[in-house]
Amino acid sequence: MSSTSTHAEVTAADTAGRWPVLLLLASGLGWLVISGIFALIASIQLHSPTFMSACEWFTHGRVSALAETTFVYGWSANAGLGIALWVLGRLGGSTLRAQNWAVIGTLFWNLGITIGLGGIATGDATSFALLELPRYVQPLLVVAYIAIGISGILAWSGRRTEGTYASQWYAVAALFLFPWLLIAAQTMLLWSPVRGVLQPIIDGWYVQSVVSLWLAPLALAGAYYAVPKITGRALPSYEFAPLAFWTLLFVGMMTGGRHLIGGPVPAWIPTLANAACWMVLFHFTVVALNLRGALTGGGTSLTFISFGLLAYLAGAVLDAVTSFRGVALVTQFTYFTTAQQQLALYGAISMLLFGSIYFALPRLIGRPWISGSFVRSHRVLSMVGIFLLVGSLAVAGLIQGTELINAKSTFGEMAERTRPWLLAVSVAQVLLLIGNILVLVNFLRSVCGLWCSGVVSEVGSFRQPTTMEVHAS
Amino acid sequence: MMKNGFFFFIGLLAAFVLGWSSIPLLAHKQLGALTPFYDDGESSSFPTRPPGVAARGQLVYADLGCAACHTQQVRRPDFGSDKARGWGDRQSVARDYIFQVRPQLGESRIGPDLANWGGRKPPVDAAGIAQFLHSGVVSGSKAVSHPPFPFLFDDRPVVGEVAADALVGLVEKSSRRQIVPTERARTLIAYLQSLNNAYEYPEARHVAPAAAKEGAHK
Ligand code: HEC
Repeated sequence: MSSTSTHAEVTAADTAGRWPVLLLLASGLGWLVISGIFALIASIQLHSPTFMSACEWFTHGRVSALAETTFVYGWSANAGLGIALWVLGRLGGSTLRAQNWAVIGTLFWNLGITIGLGGIATGDATSFALLELPRYVQPLLVVAYIAIGISGILAWSGRRTEGTYASQWYAVAALFLFPWLLIAAQTMLLWSPVRGVLQPIIDGWYVQSVVSLWLAPLALAGAYYAVPKITGRALPSYEFAPLAFWTLLFVGMMTGGRHLIGGPVPAWIPTLANAACWMVLFHFTVVALNLRGALTGGGTSLTFISFGLLAYLAGAVLDAVTSFRGVALVTQFTYFTTAQQQLALYGAISMLLFGSIYFALPRLIGRPWISGSFVRSHRVLSMVGIFLLVGSLAVAGLIQGTELINAKSTFGEMAERTRPWLLAVSVAQVLLLIGNILVLVNFLRSVCGLWCSGVVSEVGSFRQPTTMEVHAS
Repeated sequence: MMKNGFFFFIGLLAAFVLGWSSIPLLAHKQLGALTPFYDDGESSSFPTRPPGVAARGQLVYADLGCAACHTQQVRRPDFGSDKARGWGDRQSVARDYIFQVRPQLGESRIGPDLANWGGRKPPVDAAGIAQFLHSGVVSGSKAVSHPPFPFLFDDRPVVGEVAADALVGLVEKSSRRQIVPTERARTLIAYLQSLNNAYEYPEARHVAPAAAKEGAHK
């Protein structure tokens, strides 16, 4: 289906601005593999509690925090920023500016993550969900992020074009908003901590904001750029896109309180979340209408984007449904919540990012992915892996939820009944890990081609779009 | 708004400010000044401050991520089986947590809720908890159903007398070795024993939600 990609040529902006982007994408994929190892350890411990239990660094609580942190701040952040810079550079119509800032920012960001992970493993974690990185790396992260973001903001404000595109809005929003979120959360939780249950309330707000105002916009920026380029058609219902954008920004972060249903917090927090979950469905509907062309297209990028899109929608509906008290009675505090989180982070955001990466890399290096079979294996492994991961967690969660309601059932019985599904989760983690190793190796080998073969392809030497895409099936 | 860079950024900022003030700030306004409840009848106020050793134990609990599998928030008696499982007679309220450095509400119940675990009947004594943390075997069961935390214990030679809190039955007498809880294990055990929010605040009374107003009993 690659014949449809009529705009696949490499532009001057790609060649001149590729190093920061390649660095970000490579770091992201590297972290993804590492986070997969942590996630596998954590998932094995759920059915075999003694696994690596003698090793304090990898006790279940810590290794879960490591997996989550690496996934979000390592993989999603790096990859998402890479895609955002690339999209903003391309749409800005000139070479990416402040590239040195972006490169140095990336190095320090990743240094901060590395030190922070060491801190979590050795006992310095803050114990706040998604804000586990120790206090001493937090300021570094803010500064490094701003250094990376500057490049994108300059590309936006200095753009040569009259109009703007949805992918730009999402990219700029993510670049601009995240430092505010991080600083607000750090201030209220780490520097001058609020008291009592305000901590989980604010942490819950931060977690939701990270997803709604940072990761989802980063992923959407790439998808909104790639889909019309690949299908060669304007996006349908595009006139609603601005409203959908603002809906996500204004309402998205209010949906986080759904995790606090029945908890020791003011009742308006979960009630507000319930209403917000339904309101924000407007955003999801419009995104679905805008990007529906991806579903009928073929090719690697579109397959990933379609999968991501469907997961994005399914996640929103599940969030809305489970934000009702009656449903939360069963699903709350169970693996079902984990399933929803994995559906959002892995099924939606990561798959959308993969789609964008498959689209971007050939244009960055001026040659196709080096191994088509690796691409196809990665595609199959991630789709099967995510189905198995989310599906098994959801089933385990429903079993757990019904057992929890029944006061006669013991935790031993619950562990017994969920065990087969937890084993399936570990299998899924293995599949995903293999797939992610394949995409990392493929990425690095493709980029190495820039030096190794000696022929650095220049603008114009590569104008056959068909060679850009790896063929479907 | 989409074209004009300035207004676009104003819009982004407005989204942040609105979201931030609608949850963190509003909640802070409502709960930030929550005080202990003074009971005239008992001439003392609740909750009481946890002893220092338990407060330090909470940090060990947080560091090891026990909250990955345990909640510390009891739901209302008519919402779920919390009461029937003996996790607490009343629902947890915000006031329960005001003296906690790092409240560990948790989001997952792979294991039981621990909000009132220290007050459960019959209680598990310190030696029992130590044994359980070391081996991962819950009292009354044979299988390892819990992640063990052997690194919270020291395996060291016996010099003079065997330590009073050394674990029993783990090493041969003749080996002259003993397994003793570290300082961290001791604080964690004290913390687990301190977990108990039995006092009935007016806002925790399930039947009369109208009385839930802050300070209704002043
Ligand atoms: C991997 C999940 C997991 C982690 C992590 C975990 N627990 Fe548990 N915990 C459980 C399960 C499951 C049970 C119920 C075991 C049973 O009844 O068979 C339990 C039970 C307990 C009990 C009750 C034991 C009893 O006799 O009733 C206590 C106390 C406890 N855990 C404390 C802790 C502490 C302290 C930590 C952190 C250092 C911790 N747990 C970490 C899963 C976990």
